[in-house]
Amino acid sequence: PSERMRKFKNKGKDAAALRRQRVEVNIELRKAKKDEQILKRRSISFSLRDESLSPGEDKRNEIIQLSLEEILEAVNGSNPELQLQATQATRRMLSRQKDPPINQIIELGIIPRLVEFLCYADNAPLQFEAAWALTNIASGTSDHTKAVVEGGAVPAFISLLSSPHMHISEQSVWALGNIAGDGPLYRDALINCNVIPPLLALVVLPLPHSLLQRGPFTCLLFQVGFLRNITWTLSNLCRNKNPYPPLDAVKKMLPVLICLLKHEDKDIISDSCWAVSYLTDGSNDRIQIVVDTGILPRLVELMASPELIIMTPALRAIGNVVTGTDEQTQAAIDAGVFTVLPCLLRHAKPTIQKEAAWTLSNIAAGPCRQIQQLITCGLLPPLVELLDKGDFKAQKEAVWAVANFTTGGTVEQVVELVQSGVLKPLLNLLLAKDSKTILVILDTISNLFLAAEKLGETERLCLLVEELGGLEKIEALQTHDNNMVYRAALNIIEKYFSGE
Amino acid sequence: QRVLLLVASDVDALCACKILQALFQCDHVQYTLVPVSGWQELETAFLEHKDQFKYFILINCGANVDLLEILQPEEDTFFFVCDSHRPINVVNVYNDTQIKLLVKQDDELNVPAYDDIFRDDEDEEEDSENESDGSEPSEKRRRFEEDVIERTMKRRQRREWEARRREILFDYEQYEYHGTSSAMVMFDLAWIMSKDLNDMLWWAIVGLTDQWIQDKITQMKYVTDIGILQRHVSRHNHRNEDEENSLSIDCVRIAFEYDLRLALYQHWSLYESLCNTSYTSASFKLWSVQGQKRLQEFLADMGLPLKQVKQKFNSMDMSLKENLREMIEESANKFGMKDLRVQTFSIHFGFKNKFSASDIVYATASLMENVEKEGPETTNFIKALDSLSRGNLDKLHHGLDLAKKQLRAIQQTVASCICTNLVISQGPFLYCSLMEGTPDVKLFSKPVSLCLLSKYLLKSFVCSTKNKRCKLLPLVMAAPMVVEQGTVIMVGIPPETESSDKKNFFGRAFEKAADSTNSRTLHNHFDMSIIELKTEDRSKFLDALISLLS
Repeated sequence: PSERMRKFKNKGKDAAALRRQRVEVNIELRKAKKDEQILKRRSISFSLRDESLSPGEDKRNEIIQLSLEEILEAVNGSNPELQLQATQATRRMLSRQKDPPINQIIELGIIPRLVEFLCYADNAPLQFEAAWALTNIASGTSDHTKAVVEGGAVPAFISLLSSPHMHISEQSVWALGNIAGDGPLYRDALINCNVIPPLLALVVLPLPHSLLQRGPFTCLLFQVGFLRNITWTLSNLCRNKNPYPPLDAVKKMLPVLICLLKHEDKDIISDSCWAVSYLTDGSNDRIQIVVDTGILPRLVELMASPELIIMTPALRAIGNVVTGTDEQTQAAIDAGVFTVLPCLLRHAKPTIQKEAAWTLSNIAAGPCRQIQQLITCGLLPPLVELLDKGDFKAQKEAVWAVANFTTGGTVEQVVELVQSGVLKPLLNLLLAKDSKTILVILDTISNLFLAAEKLGETERLCLLVEELGGLEKIEALQTHDNNMVYRAALNIIEKYFSGE
Repeated sequence: QRVLLLVASDVDALCACKILQALFQCDHVQYTLVPVSGWQELETAFLEHKDQFKYFILINCGANVDLLEILQPEEDTFFFVCDSHRPINVVNVYNDTQIKLLVKQDDELNVPAYDDIFRDDEDEEEDSENESDGSEPSEKRRRFEEDVIERTMKRRQRREWEARRREILFDYEQYEYHGTSSAMVMFDLAWIMSKDLNDMLWWAIVGLTDQWIQDKITQMKYVTDIGILQRHVSRHNHRNEDEENSLSIDCVRIAFEYDLRLALYQHWSLYESLCNTSYTSASFKLWSVQGQKRLQEFLADMGLPLKQVKQKFNSMDMSLKENLREMIEESANKFGMKDLRVQTFSIHFGFKNKFSASDIVYATASLMENVEKEGPETTNFIKALDSLSRGNLDKLHHGLDLAKKQLRAIQQTVASCICTNLVISQGPFLYCSLMEGTPDVKLFSKPVSLCLLSKYLLKSFVCSTKNKRCKLLPLVMAAPMVVEQGTVIMVGIPPETESSDKKNFFGRAFEKAADSTNSRTLHNHFDMSIIELKTEDRSKFLDALISLLS
């Protein structure tokens, strides 16, 4: 990495760090959009539910309806019947679609009591209802999650992972997932409470089947559902930076995640892929741990999946790997990343184009032998296509790929790049509104001229740039608002086009 | 804005096209006309012209498939579809932006209700969207009330809805049939705009008559539509009747008539027409010696000298012609032919030109499928279209000659098929295949001629067979198409019964049989019940068809 950093530092900007940052911004955006969607979905499913409520169901709901005071009294009382009824009523309120009264339940002060119920091993129904209620409280804001954790729920849930009742075990997995998902602080708190060994045991050991009081059709679904929940919770235990999850925890989870990546359920593959993408989103030693498992070929295979929910995290993970050392990047190349990337560069979805181009740009920043492999594997045509017709965000990444290529490539390789028709779309992008992109393009043009000078072909390149309407555009940039753009454009004009 | 006119190659389409062209001329609308004989040509024509045109008018094609699906047009492209093919594809019906259907208001479409076949299920869609958009998993998730059961319920409801939808669509799409003639629809349009002329009315009449001759509509529908046109005819022609003698020779007069159901008889000899009209030839069973004898008896009964009967109708004694219709009808009744009289229209123009609507249909259809190739593909289309204008008498007469040849060829082929027992019962349907080398076989490589032959053959077969079950069967007929490519053209027609609703289930059946056997078929014709098929695949295709319909 130091070598590559130097390369960029020579040019006076810390490009690698810059790129990393952009990815994070995008993740934030994605998260915001996702939340929006969930909100929308909730309100819609609510209206549907209302219509479909049969009178019978209504009645049943009425029977359970208890006031908060009644709940408080029953929960604190000693009658097991009433405890169960009240806890169930609480759970029902918390699991209705619209406006679950999380705050009121917290203010009622019954969380410590619900946590106590978790430990009533002889009353499985009560354990289950309490676990579900606490899960839903923990699914809210950070304050809501905090209330559950401070109520002492973490050790109780962890011990319930080994409950003989599958549905209680699953509910605990779910609750712990919500707590881990709150952020690095609680994630590490869970890890320190030794959540990982019993969680992994659920995947590795055969699951208990008894006492599952559901219809025959849910039984099979439930098994996959359980494993999905476990996978999701594991992915939350790998998630978030500042700090990263502890290395030894990662090393424990990784073999199981690798197993889950080979499962046939697409949600399980997707979530375990996301987990791997979190683990690779870090320093090179963290990338190395993932590379050492030998999972890269499988990730490359998953990158070619027709399922977007699998392709996206697989591409993200591989993209992260090639931000690493040359050796790590080489491992990704050896795993066949070049066979899949052309398709992804041409993918209909702009986000996929963009991530694929980002991945390619990082490989293009490598040594010239890797650049040669890039050429040999036919990546230039799709890159040029993307530069020409892709989504703008993807085009920006493609510009980076070309820039990195011209920085690290040999003169012969740069000639090959120009011959593949990169110049026309590149010059067209000088019309972009984004100054950063324009600057990168101008730098790239300078690099091309440096190569041309070495070959004594400056004149020809000048002519080519002029023919493609590039000169006109560069000249126009001399009046650009951005000072750096203006100077870079002026520099090229003075150096190569002032003879006339 | 210039418009593109895509016109199918049947007589009704040509008539509708003529009316529209006249309207365009009135309004100075610029257009380009492209004839299309099948889906492939339609697609090619669209692809070739989609960049220059935004407005496409489709005549007698396009209604019965999802146009947006097969053509993938830009959003600012519009289709105006005037097509008698039914059922209309439901997407075409419910698309109210890009597809504009020209349909007569009283045509019963029986389209399934929107909510039964389309579902704006945002909940489901969003579910799947969320699943498939590849965004990161959420950090926290609440467990909803009875999550699993509710989702399963929803899924089950959806499955039930989908099963019902399939059933509804199956019922809706299972039979092919025809709605009001496109020429009539187009005439209605002209009338509503107060731009209807007598010529346009004549084309509407010819369009309707084409549907009747091609057996596309029920007797009931025909009579109803004749009634509608009759009102227009009297509105347009009443003044002329009073002053008939003062008419200038270019004047056109259309008249309603109870005419004889004898093909082309006014341009032929009565004898030839009697022999080559399917109704009379089937009733007499002219393919047999007894049949020939019956014809002689019939002529004798009428009291017409054979010499007169066999000479050109035009040259027959005026005295004989006066009561001819009544005489023929009377004798026909005695011989069991109760429907020899039909309601139709005739047109008079110029000094001595008189044509019946059916004359024009036969002539135009023959020009369209003329196998004496001259010039490019579209020559036949242009000639047929031209023959519909009064100014092109020579083309019309050429068409009449071709039509006579065609009718003779049909009659001879029917006779030989019946005499050599070529019509075989396959169980659920009758089957007849013309061999390579049969006289006139080339003529029947064309869809309209083959359909006409099939209908005449079925009618004759029903009269000739004593097997009561066979009388109720539909017919599948095959003829060599392109010998070099080893292909046959195949058509399926509904049973020949008096109360026939003219609904045809062969379109769907052909599709299924082809699918299940991987037969190399081409479903290129706008009528789904006409297909092309590789000769080697024919037997497995037929086997599948038999088991499908049994």
